[in-house]
Amino acid sequence: MNGALARALLRLFAVQGSYNYERMLGVGVGVAEEPLLRDLGDAKYQPAVARGAHFFNAHPYLVGLAVGAAARAEHDGASPDQVERLREALCGPLGSLGDRLVWAGWLPFLSGLTLAAVALGAGWIAAGVFLVVYNIGHVALRWWALKAGWTHGARVSVALHHPMLHKAAAVLGPAMALAVGAALPLTAAYLSAPFEAWARVALATVAAVSFLGLRLRGDRLNGLRLSLIMAALALIAGVIWR
Amino acid sequence: MNLPIELLIALVAWGTLVGVDLVSLPQMMIARPLVAGTVAGAILGDIPTGLKLGVVFELLQYDILPVGAVRYPEYGPATVAAVATAHASAGVLGLGLGALVGLVTGLLGGVGIDLLRRVNSRIIHAAAARLESGDPAALVRVHVAALLRDVLRAALVTIIGLALAWLARPLLGSALTVRGAVFLAVAAVATALAAGAAGTLRLVGRGPNLAWFAAGLGGGIVATLWLR
Repeated sequence: MNGALARALLRLFAVQGSYNYERMLGVGVGVAEEPLLRDLGDAKYQPAVARGAHFFNAHPYLVGLAVGAAARAEHDGASPDQVERLREALCGPLGSLGDRLVWAGWLPFLSGLTLAAVALGAGWIAAGVFLVVYNIGHVALRWWALKAGWTHGARVSVALHHPMLHKAAAVLGPAMALAVGAALPLTAAYLSAPFEAWARVALATVAAVSFLGLRLRGDRLNGLRLSLIMAALALIAGVIWR
Repeated sequence: MNLPIELLIALVAWGTLVGVDLVSLPQMMIARPLVAGTVAGAILGDIPTGLKLGVVFELLQYDILPVGAVRYPEYGPATVAAVATAHASAGVLGLGLGALVGLVTGLLGGVGIDLLRRVNSRIIHAAAARLESGDPAALVRVHVAALLRDVLRAALVTIIGLALAWLARPLLGSALTVRGAVFLAVAAVATALAAGAAGTLRLVGRGPNLAWFAAGLGGGIVATLWLR
């Protein structure tokens, strides 16, 4: 079974390859689960493959938990309804846990450290270290999720309550806040270094106004829109005030 | 921007890899602007410019939380195009023009991702009967075809970004005075810092992490002043 798990893990790296608004990650989940279903009997294999490709949405790094659990449940003789219910029940928790652990924890924490390191002169090495360290956590999480799902099957909620996961989420939140908080002034100094004094004052003013705009009108404004608006205003001002 | 063909090919290849990494394969974060920009800088033999534009777009990336079916700009290939633009123009002009080209490319990349997901939805809807039959070959075909469409999309976004980089200098560079170039760079850097701060505060929330953020900010300010 280790060969099938390895194949499923490899396919999980492309689980979002067919991302769409109808089944979300469903087709990718089906593709990843398929190697784990091959030793089901002929009568069970194709219906299980079809079920695997139904609607599914969760954090991509934790999808393996659902893939392993659903495949194990199929082997354990769970009814089609039970498998569907298991998949449905996993969408929400896997999404919110993954978002907290990775998108709001591990990734911005390391990104903040890297920004600070670059601002302090670490150069390209900082980006290289970011890539290596981030992916140690990334690959470990994908592998753990698949193994845990396959081990626990329909009782996969046991894995979701693993103390390590909750401890990691509890530590990564403050660590991320501390790292990015420290990185912001260092990055501001790094980026403003080539500007003259008057331009630095202008930069601080525009940054403050933009920050307020994003905080107060976050429902309408986002970073991209605001940046494009400010760039257009800067171009117009630059052409008028020659 | 006049680059040898081999460098252009390398940038398109890198931008494509970066674009595919964002969502499809393997999400190892080469799509993060800091990485995408550093490698683009290395390709051009100009790592400092790659790092600088990488930092600008990394800050903008904090504004994005890719949960559910949320639509967002794509800053990976955008950073590659931004670095190519900035490499052709020295100093603050390069920073401003690079950021502008990157922002437009990021917008186009985001539109492309949304369009691709709609196309995928239609194709998968049309293939529903084959998928429901449980035929694994049909399943893999649908999945791989979608992946290849993303490769094509990422390549196209990078090529458009590099075309914008090629146009930016003659169209805008010559029209801008030194002061105009500084205005543009100030706008880009200031909004990136604001987006970084606002995006982080959204992640941090109003709970206990806010105190950690304040502590980090204080420490960062002290370190910045100490290092001056």
